[in-house]
Amino acid sequence: MLSFIIRRLLIIIPMALLVVTLTWGLIRIAPGNFYSGEKKLPAAVEANIRKKYGLDQPWYTQYGMMMSNIVRGDFGDSLKYQGQSVNEIIKRHLPYSATIGILAYLLALAIGLTAGTIAALKQNSAFDYSSMSLAMLGLSLPNFVLGPLLVLIFAFGLYWFPPARWGGVSSIVLPVITLSAIYAAYIARLTRAGMLEVMRSDYIRTARAKGLDEMTVLLRHALRGGIIPVVSFTGPALAALLAGTVVVEKVFALPGLGDIFIKSVLNRDEPLILGIVAFLSILIMLFNLAVDIAYGFLDPRIRYE
Amino acid sequence: MAENLEIVKGTSLWSDAWKRLKRNRLALAGLIFITFMVVAVVIGPAILAWATGYTYDLIPTESELARSLPPSLMHPMGTDDAGRDLFARVLQGGRISLMVGIISTFVSLIVGVSYGAIAGFLGGRIDNLMMRIVDIIYAIPYILIVIVLLSVFGGPSTPAWIKWLSANIGGAGNQALSQIFLLFFALGLVSWLTMARVVRGQILSLKNQEFVLAARATGVSTFGIIFRHLVPNALGPVIVYATLTVPSVMLTEAFLSFLGLGVQAPYASWGSLADAGIKNLAIFPWQLIFPGVTMALTLFSLNFLGDGIRDALDPQTRKF
Amino acid sequence: MAKTRPKPLRSALIAVIFASLLTGCMSSAKSKYFGRTSPPAENVLRYVSGSEPETLDPQLPDGQPEARIFMALYEGLVEYGPKDQQPIPSIAKSWEISSKVDEFIFHLRDNAKWSDGKPITAQDFVYSLRRGFAPETISRTAGLGYAIKYSSEFNGEKVFVKKNGRFLTAADIDGTPAKDVPAFGPDTEFNRTLRGPDRITLEGDEKKRSKELESDAKLKAAVEGGEFVPVKAEDIGVEAIDDRTLRISLRQSAPYFLGLLAHQFFRLVPRQAIEAHGKEWTRPANIVTCGAFRIKEYRPYDKLVVERDPNYWDAANVHLDRIEFYPVEELSTIMNLYKAGSVDAFLNHTVPTSWIDEVRQYKDEYLNFPEAATAYYSMNMTKAPFSDSKVRRAFMLGLDRQALSDFRKITKPLFGKVPSGIYPEYDKAVEKVGEELRKERGVTPETWAKRNDFDAEAARKLLTDAGFPVVKSDSGYSCPNFPTDRISITFNTNENNRSVAEFIQSQWKQNLGITVPLKTMEFKTYLPYFKSLQYEGFAQFLWSGDYMDPYTFLSLQYGKDNEGGAGFYDAKYDKMLNDANAELDPDKRYEMLARAEFYLMDQLPFVPLTINATNWLKKPYVKGMYPNPGTLIPWKFVYIERDQAKWDKDVENIFKTPDPQMEKQLSDLTATQKAAAK
Repeated sequence: MLSFIIRRLLIIIPMALLVVTLTWGLIRIAPGNFYSGEKKLPAAVEANIRKKYGLDQPWYTQYGMMMSNIVRGDFGDSLKYQGQSVNEIIKRHLPYSATIGILAYLLALAIGLTAGTIAALKQNSAFDYSSMSLAMLGLSLPNFVLGPLLVLIFAFGLYWFPPARWGGVSSIVLPVITLSAIYAAYIARLTRAGMLEVMRSDYIRTARAKGLDEMTVLLRHALRGGIIPVVSFTGPALAALLAGTVVVEKVFALPGLGDIFIKSVLNRDEPLILGIVAFLSILIMLFNLAVDIAYGFLDPRIRYE
Repeated sequence: MAENLEIVKGTSLWSDAWKRLKRNRLALAGLIFITFMVVAVVIGPAILAWATGYTYDLIPTESELARSLPPSLMHPMGTDDAGRDLFARVLQGGRISLMVGIISTFVSLIVGVSYGAIAGFLGGRIDNLMMRIVDIIYAIPYILIVIVLLSVFGGPSTPAWIKWLSANIGGAGNQALSQIFLLFFALGLVSWLTMARVVRGQILSLKNQEFVLAARATGVSTFGIIFRHLVPNALGPVIVYATLTVPSVMLTEAFLSFLGLGVQAPYASWGSLADAGIKNLAIFPWQLIFPGVTMALTLFSLNFLGDGIRDALDPQTRKF
Repeated sequence: MAKTRPKPLRSALIAVIFASLLTGCMSSAKSKYFGRTSPPAENVLRYVSGSEPETLDPQLPDGQPEARIFMALYEGLVEYGPKDQQPIPSIAKSWEISSKVDEFIFHLRDNAKWSDGKPITAQDFVYSLRRGFAPETISRTAGLGYAIKYSSEFNGEKVFVKKNGRFLTAADIDGTPAKDVPAFGPDTEFNRTLRGPDRITLEGDEKKRSKELESDAKLKAAVEGGEFVPVKAEDIGVEAIDDRTLRISLRQSAPYFLGLLAHQFFRLVPRQAIEAHGKEWTRPANIVTCGAFRIKEYRPYDKLVVERDPNYWDAANVHLDRIEFYPVEELSTIMNLYKAGSVDAFLNHTVPTSWIDEVRQYKDEYLNFPEAATAYYSMNMTKAPFSDSKVRRAFMLGLDRQALSDFRKITKPLFGKVPSGIYPEYDKAVEKVGEELRKERGVTPETWAKRNDFDAEAARKLLTDAGFPVVKSDSGYSCPNFPTDRISITFNTNENNRSVAEFIQSQWKQNLGITVPLKTMEFKTYLPYFKSLQYEGFAQFLWSGDYMDPYTFLSLQYGKDNEGGAGFYDAKYDKMLNDANAELDPDKRYEMLARAEFYLMDQLPFVPLTINATNWLKKPYVKGMYPNPGTLIPWKFVYIERDQAKWDKDVENIFKTPDPQMEKQLSDLTATQKAAAK
């Protein structure tokens, strides 16, 4: 197990570099460049820009220079936000996205697991139908609809929370709820399906036959196997949440990383794109490793050699 | 969904399942509603245009009509900001949204399930490699992929097959539609990733169970074990996840359209209609209510149908 | 509802939702003001400034969000006037202009200081301009200052040619003797060289230079044996005559130049901070500013707080203690913040179209005035059938621009290149020249007045004449052999562009029987597609004026490689503009420009669409803030009025309603220049 974890950790850095390379290639294929704007630049200015950023060099020189900096952990300065380094931007905005993302996921887990489990245990009951319908409602209400709807009710109807901008606990309530809805729905549906699968398996019947009480069977045995789909889903979902979710950040004008990421792509801000991509790919691989380890704990039959 | 069933109708497992599905009233209602929606979005716009003259892109020339009007006999769902018939737009939007949903789900079922199942069952180095590939695709910024796809294949250099597809499915050689096809392709490209992870997780937990050992002992091939024994047993989460894919790709499509990477104006999708609707909720509520309700009803039906199929296919249901 | 309580939880929830929705709607319908309206406790203005500023270095970015922030932090020689954006004294208390409008002398105030207390001198301006043009600075806006002598050569790393100990001039090539120009202001050695004949400049890059020389034998012969000397910062036409006097020399007369000097590119940057901290000089810990406000707190993507700078020379006349700039882009979010009373005003064209009918009722808050900003559809003239001017004209006539404007609710139809209603003097010139042209062409006044109006009949006829017969069918018109499969209306994605394109598509479909497909692109994909003329048919082109002169619009079609994106180039048009700019009498110059505009409209490389509107809101207690044509607000005039009786009313008349405080402040400021002019 330990050697498995070490191997997986070791591979993360080369994998991230591979992702960076592929992304770099895509940026170079994509039309447009960071300095083009609505107004035409004088030829002299354009030439100066190309010289300053080494764009007049052959591509392999540019790639080599970029990679040698990245290997040293230096992504350079953002091209759009001049004078700010990529590392600094990520460090500055990650806490905002992470706070909202983690809170939203915890909330989603709490709601989703409870609702999903109960729905599975009482399959085809009223609770099952209503909670699953609610979950489906959460899914079919896109967050760009849910967010403004919550603002309308809670900021303008009831004056409980501010409509937007970061500032204190009250300002993150609506974004967290908006963001968690879809995840709660996912988790509830996946938990229900997983639990239904597990409750019929032989080992649960064995456990019941042994005379264990229903609660123990449920928590000790069934839930562990039943949430495997949720765990699989959690890896990528949590990574995406930590890196920010652009819609919620836009609706609530929050300084998170998601909006910055999307904009960096739209601005062709190469260093910033690569920095966030590298960070994101490391996150994804770490979380997926955690998921794989969690499989082992949840289901003793899963083994890694 | 319905097509999937027909393709594989032959085996007894599937015909059994079909019998059971027919007994599940909610699932049947879902199936009927979805069939109805599919028919409505396919032939509805033509009928509407024939009967009333309204199309999804007709903006009235009279300026007092070129604005959002509440539902009336003329416009059962009202009109949008430009005075276009919302009913026609919901029907037309349904075409794109359903197509996006169906194609992505199909890709996610075919590619995601086999990929995840193979990785999970073979395990070890192959599993590791296959899953790292998934991680890589997942980590590359998605919108960058779409931007590149659109610029390489869109515009003047659109490959012939995309032009052919859009000309033959979308009507008279429409440029706008070729971007939609690229969009389907782009959405399909990533929709299977999480599915592969979910399936792999299930297979990992199933593959050491007794029935697999039994199958192996009786000399069933690896392929047979994966697709005849393991996958059917993992179908519950698979089908649930597939029904979850539909709303999520619809939203992705709406987001891409918002960035200019999705559906071309004047076409709409349910997602983009809802996006326009929410902005005007306080003033023109019908702009959100009708597309929203249509979309929600469709997704609900899909959900019930999905659950029904899951129950019907459950190999262990028979034991009860 | 309160008396009976069946199923408490659910019905309570529903009741709460409904009640809140209702109150939400009701309160907004009945109140006099839009949302919560009460002045903030402190003298603070909370303003949404648009996207996050790229940097706080005023010479680098070219965006509007930055421009507004820079107006608080930095000053230049002149400032935009609060109402009309015309230049008013700033660090320069007065100025003199040479009779040819090619030399400017600025007299600086002696009490102007940096935020670190250091006095501001003419040398600071020399440093700032040299830095702005330096190639390594890579200012995106440096092109605005290219009228300054040798600035574009310095910026483009060109070289002079030195032969036999002196620099070669144009006189050495064509033999025309140099004219003796009298000095404007003190006669200095530096000024003499600037006044002298124009030096020859060549490409700095050797390969490009030899190519340049190959193409011109006379030049090559003259240069032969000479030494190439790079154009240096010290060569550009900016001179500190003494600590308080600055002279700027231009390459040719530029009547619009003074108005340009309020632009962020010409604002002062601090040598002391830049030399000490390099590229990190804009960080709050290092930054030194010279405007009415200085930085208090900067949280990127969240807020930028500036406070009144006690070192500012006019600090006594700065009314706000703080301004908080919020970078918010999502329009509905901005509206929500305003409605909740969390912001007091926000940037221009921000009220979403569908909100306008509601917001318009708040007559004390909604600012809807014409802007120096226009929308066109460029037509790619290099690809048939748009190479035919009949086709181009047909598409213009076949579009009801009045209907388009009504549909957009706030815009005004555009019938020429230059927006009307922004430059009153120019409008008069257009009318006068138009009347002359009408007589020349012998057209009746009625026909002339309607020449560019919507006329579907004429449009169909023009198309038919051009070889694309429009036939009437039972469901309208159709134009079967028009190549709609190749052309499109291309635009970069945003809600407004989309809705305009949809409307126009529908119009042409109904009026001409031609369905032009729409093609929307993400901005950075769109730019090269548009600028390198890859599109066929129509491409959207928006332009907001850089300075308060019609030339900022007319120059869009000037030169071979112009901004217009239509493949239009006409030497005659260029000459008309050059001649006009050489004209020193402003009225005559406008008439010559107007003639050029009429000429351009005959060629019609674009379909004019709309004149944009300011379209923003401010709370009635915010005063001294005007919807000028660029929404460029000199912040020191802005104040919070606590006496509700004095709040702004009927802002439709905001320009006519006198505000004694603002007017006194403005006339005190301009007094120095008025006195000097006498």
